[in-house]
Amino acid sequence: MEHTAILDEIEELNLAYLLLAQRMLHNDRTSAMFRLKIDEEMADLLLSLNARQLAKLSRTNQLLCHFGHAGAEQLRQVTHNHREQGLSRFHASLLMASRPSAPSSLAGA
Amino acid sequence: MAQKSLVTEMHQVQLAIELIELGARLQVLETETDISRARLIKLYKEVRGMSPPKGMLPFSTDWFITWMPNIHSSLFYNIFLRLRQDHGCDRMEAFVRAFRLYQEQVEIDETETVLGLTRAWTLVRFFESDMLQLSACTRCSGHFVAHAHSPSQEYVCGICQPPSRAGKTRKAKAAAPVPPSAPSVRRQA
Repeated sequence: MEHTAILDEIEELNLAYLLLAQRMLHNDRTSAMFRLKIDEEMADLLLSLNARQLAKLSRTNQLLCHFGHAGAEQLRQVTHNHREQGLSRFHASLLMASRPSAPSSLAGA
Repeated sequence: MAQKSLVTEMHQVQLAIELIELGARLQVLETETDISRARLIKLYKEVRGMSPPKGMLPFSTDWFITWMPNIHSSLFYNIFLRLRQDHGCDRMEAFVRAFRLYQEQVEIDETETVLGLTRAWTLVRFFESDMLQLSACTRCSGHFVAHAHSPSQEYVCGICQPPSRAGKTRKAKAAAPVPPSAPSVRRQA
């Protein structure tokens, strides 16, 4: 059934995401936190999870990783820029880096 | 100064080597470490196999506002801020990491490193002395480097609204595979 196939894919992606996150955090913690947009507490927690916990977390009907761009208006500015100068990847990277990523603290603009 | 700890000194030498490898000028090393000038020159020669370049550092904020440098500077500085503010890096650690992450994006884009390490360092110093600020683009909401105290209510960044001559340098023309034979349609900006 189509539906279960998607659920399986979500689970697979979730697990892949968590495993990648752990690997990145092991290799270079700070850069990984930047790439994942997570704070220190989350980084510690993710690293402490064992395989069984990761598998359990992955089995859900929703994706664990969230969208990196703030909203449709912002993303449209990247994908539908009328005056594109070959800078769209750079632009996308800059926009994601412009967003503060500490969810535990109150988000002050 | 009191007795210098060996560990501190080693960290400083490590930092200096890393900075030299990434292309730092001597002035950067002199400001950011306590290592003597003579030792720094020696270290520089060992790492790079040549004498450090002489001369003053660029000291104008204007370069960071020009089109392509502004885009590169803004990406670098946004990454630097994230590492400083969100991930608790200390100043020089954030600086080196941010520069590497910036270079990584440059490589992905297969473009040139417009912002060299020494320029990046000057940028950070300009921010520290409140000569520059970040302005939010009113279209894409990205944060871009701007002169301090410049009005930002109607600010639009150089990617959303590139200047009319943007990317039309002699170099870009030379790099283009085939020059357009027919005059392209002029669009009124």
